[in-house]
Amino acid sequence: MSRPPLLVVFVAVVVITLGELGGAMLSQLRPSTARWAAARIAANAPAHGLTGTPEYDDAVRERTVFSVEAGLSFFHVHAEGMGLVLFFASTLVASVARSRPVRRALYALLTVGATFPLGYLAYALAVVELGRDDGVALAETWVLTPLGLAAITGLIGLTVALARRPEAR
Amino acid sequence: MTGTNEEVWHLPPRAVLLAAILLLLAAEVGGASMGRYKLELARWARAEMQARPAVHGLVGVRDVDERILDEAIFRVDAGLRLFHMHAEGMALVIIATTTVAVTLARRAATRRALLLLLTLGGIGYPLGYLLWSVLIPTLGIERGKALAERLLWLPFGGATILGLAWLSALIAVRMARR
Repeated sequence: MSRPPLLVVFVAVVVITLGELGGAMLSQLRPSTARWAAARIAANAPAHGLTGTPEYDDAVRERTVFSVEAGLSFFHVHAEGMGLVLFFASTLVASVARSRPVRRALYALLTVGATFPLGYLAYALAVVELGRDDGVALAETWVLTPLGLAAITGLIGLTVALARRPEAR
Repeated sequence: MTGTNEEVWHLPPRAVLLAAILLLLAAEVGGASMGRYKLELARWARAEMQARPAVHGLVGVRDVDERILDEAIFRVDAGLRLFHMHAEGMALVIIATTTVAVTLARRAATRRALLLLLTLGGIGYPLGYLLWSVLIPTLGIERGKALAERLLWLPFGGATILGLAWLSALIAVRMARR
C-alpha cells in the first residue's frame, strides 16, 4: 500500500495522540474540570438563565456540567476514531487514486475532516461560555457541521475513486 | 523490517500484528459475552458482593443494599463495555501507529522502542477496564479503580501517550528536514 504525504500521516498521529491525552485528562482531571465548568457557569449566569433559586440553578448547573463532560468524552472517542479513519482512508487514496489533483483534493478533505473532533472541544467551551443551547448551536453550526461535511465529502470521493478504478485500466 | 522505500507502508513485525489481532479478538469476544452472559455476570457480581458486605458498605437493609448493589453491577457492566470499546480501538491504533513507526523511523533502536511502547501500551491499557470489572465485586468500586489505575491504566496508558508523542515528533522532524 502506498503511503500518503507526511503531513497527512502527521495529522492522523497527532489526532490519535490528542484523543489519548483527552481520555487520560478526562479520567484524571474530572473533579477539576467540573469545578472549572461550575465557576464559568457562575461567571456567565445570565447566559445560563440562573435565577438565584438554589434548586433551579443547581439543576441548570448539573445539566451544563454534564454537557461539558459529554463534549470532552465525545472528543476522546471521536479523535481516536477519526485519526484512524484518516490513516486508513488516506492510505487507500494514495494507493488507488491515480490523478494527482484528485489525490490532493481527497487528502485535503480527509485531513480537514479528521479535525472534526476539535468541534467537541469547542462544544465543551461554548456551552459554559454561551449557555447550553447557544453553545451547542454554535459548535454544531460553525465547527462540527463544516468539518464533518469535509470528512463525508472526502469519503464519498474515495468511494467514487474506488468504484471507478477498474474502468481506468 | 523496514526498507529504504518510504513511499510505501512497511508491515510491522508479525508478533505486533498478532498481538493486535488477539486484542481485537478479545474485544469482540468480550462484547459478545457481555450480551450473552449479562445475567450470569450480574448474578456472579451480586453473589461476590453479598459475600463481602463490609467492603461494599452493605447494611442489611434491603432498600439501601439494593441501591449499592445495583450501582456496583452497573459499574461492572460499564467496565466490560469500556474494555470492549477500548480494546477494539487500541488494536487498530497499534496496527496504524506501528506501521508508521516501522516505515518512518530510520534508526533500529528508535523503531524497536516505538514498537515496544505502542504495542505494550495499546494492549495493557484496555485490560485495565477488564481488571476493574473483575475487582469491583471483591474490592469495591473505588479500590478496584485505584488498583487498575496503578497496575495498568497509568503505566500502559502512559506508554501509549509517550509512544504517540515520540512518533508525532519524529514525523514533524522529518517534515521539517524536507
